Amino acid sequence: MNVFVTPAMLGQVVISGILSGALYAMVALGLALIFGVMRIINVAHGPLLMLGAYATFFLYSALGINPYLTVPVSMLVLFAVGVLLERTLVFRVVDAPELSSLLLTFGISIALVNLAQLLFTSDLRSVEYLTGSWVVGPLALSKARVVAFTVASALTGLSFLFLQRTRLGKAIRATSQNREVAMVCGIDVQRIHLVTFGLSAALAGAGGALIAVIVAIQPEMGQIWTFKSFLVIVLGGAGNYPGALLGGVLLGLIEQLASLFLTTQLSEVVAYVLLVLILLVRPQGLLGGRQT
Amino acid sequence: MTSKTLGALIAALAVLAAGIAGEAQGPIRIGASLSLTGTYAKLGRNQHEGYKLCEKDLNAKGGLLGRKIEFVVYDDQSTPATAVRLYEKLITEDKVEGVMGPYSSPVTEASVNVTEKYKKVMVAPLAATTSIFKRPPDKKRHYVFMVISPAEVYLEGLIDTAAKRGLKTVAVVNEDTLFSKAAASGAVELAKKRGMQVIFQEAYPKGNADFSALLTKVKSLNPDVIAAATYFDDAVALTRQMRELDVNPKAYGVTVGGDLPEFYDTLKTNADFIYGATQWEHVLPYPGNTEFFEAYRKEFGHEPSYHSAAGYAGCLIYTEAVKRAGSLDADRVREQLFKLEMRTVFGEYKVDQDGFQVAHKMVTFQWQEGKKVVVWPDELAQGKPRFPTPPWNQR
Repeated sequence: MNVFVTPAMLGQVVISGILSGALYAMVALGLALIFGVMRIINVAHGPLLMLGAYATFFLYSALGINPYLTVPVSMLVLFAVGVLLERTLVFRVVDAPELSSLLLTFGISIALVNLAQLLFTSDLRSVEYLTGSWVVGPLALSKARVVAFTVASALTGLSFLFLQRTRLGKAIRATSQNREVAMVCGIDVQRIHLVTFGLSAALAGAGGALIAVIVAIQPEMGQIWTFKSFLVIVLGGAGNYPGALLGGVLLGLIEQLASLFLTTQLSEVVAYVLLVLILLVRPQGLLGGRQT
Repeated sequence: MTSKTLGALIAALAVLAAGIAGEAQGPIRIGASLSLTGTYAKLGRNQHEGYKLCEKDLNAKGGLLGRKIEFVVYDDQSTPATAVRLYEKLITEDKVEGVMGPYSSPVTEASVNVTEKYKKVMVAPLAATTSIFKRPPDKKRHYVFMVISPAEVYLEGLIDTAAKRGLKTVAVVNEDTLFSKAAASGAVELAKKRGMQVIFQEAYPKGNADFSALLTKVKSLNPDVIAAATYFDDAVALTRQMRELDVNPKAYGVTVGGDLPEFYDTLKTNADFIYGATQWEHVLPYPGNTEFFEAYRKEFGHEPSYHSAAGYAGCLIYTEAVKRAGSLDADRVREQLFKLEMRTVFGEYKVDQDGFQVAHKMVTFQWQEGKKVVVWPDELAQGKPRFPTPPWNQR
């Protein structure tokens, strides 16, 4: 039963870790944005991702659209869902104690999952599009995961550009740093909240669209992504956007390496033990919190 | 008290008793908690439809003990804790007269504690884990009965087929849940018994979607056989990544999920050559099987899975025992269930002194060009296995 780990195996596993890490980073960036700007822990982030996956599934199966072309559509749909949720529900808890926002998003999460079960049924769906892998020397690169990595990296990059360069992005960061001062400077904070929530949901939607090609789609597929995203932003530093990137790749690597050297069963344990350790030793996360 | 008032009182009591008896002549309500939503929804619903068809067929034939039967079903969302609550409710609030089992081993394992507490007979048609029935002497269960073959023999067909063709090394992987663990340890035992070498064994958590590290390890050992104790999602993910990472065993089999039509719909030709285990197929020569298949298709608009057939058969077995006992009394029904030997659409039923299934036969099929072909055991086989499984790049 002893597996001798060769460099090629290590390489394979590191690559797998980085590939899934980029996806973790993108999805977690959405969660980090909301937390940074609105101080809300959005437990419904994973279920929003699930909706994105269904959007892709229906566009692909009903209209035959290439699943990768559905990414922007899923993002738009989820942006709209996000805006709607913010305008009707979430804005009510922005200044409330954090427990209220946690309860509200938890409720939204349950409602979304059950709604999906009613509307889409709990039948397992799948998008069979890109299968197989590209072989590079001793390494096999899963096509679906490489494309997901590329798109996720690009979207994460664009999000950073947006936050760094555009007026709206700067306004979002300003609101995140200090809401009162931002307001005094004439930033419409209500609007910033709306855009942030929409953007965050759109990132979850993109994640859903990308993993629709990788895993089976069902109403409960999202929850695990809430946990993973949470793990990522704690690793990287809550509210710290580049930290989400680091945290994502780190989580991907930890999962894969623990799985290689220990067992797959223990990889989750390792990730959560790390979470506890970071919360104990460096609660501001590896890169520190709330720097934008 | 004068004899006159006493007489009146007795008369009044008699009327009251008759009233209660008259009320009891409504339908016999049989309660069950099923996974209608959640992880096991697909399979739990099929089981539910099995119950529904049994209710319909039985009522068409005059019901049970001269009364109609009626299922009272709640959704446990595939979680054991919810099912426990629902069986409590069914027994104490709804006061159902009989119960039937839920879907899956973990849910049954939790629910049985409730039915045992209230001394209710539970025929558990979709619980395949031995430890639910085989208990240490001080923790015996008395009222639970098994219908399907135990988890431990799910991979027997794969191992036997491989051993007969001279394969030597086996890798066993499984989801870390009750059923899958039992199926995996059964496969390990069977492989050892056949003189094969188990060179790798690893569990992964429920919901795991990335098997790259696990398969990288498996690939480095290059086993002849990969035996995977799975449900649906993981069976699909595992197969996709085996292709991606070019892992090429000479025989590869999964357990649950591999027999669903969705398995082929999702994986298309990548599912070919994969062995699967099933408790039941509609082509098997069991009495009434064809009629059941047709009636089910007509009623629900899709084909039954083994979960449907087991649900249907489990309901027939329970009601047959009630019929023979002539009563719904738990102890009398229990006695009949121990004695009963029955051949239903699902095959044989006979249990040992622990309520553990000893007669039902498991079959192994192989996906061949989109069709499930029963390849094991020989007496039920429809065709020969396509062996060995060609490498991915030669398909």
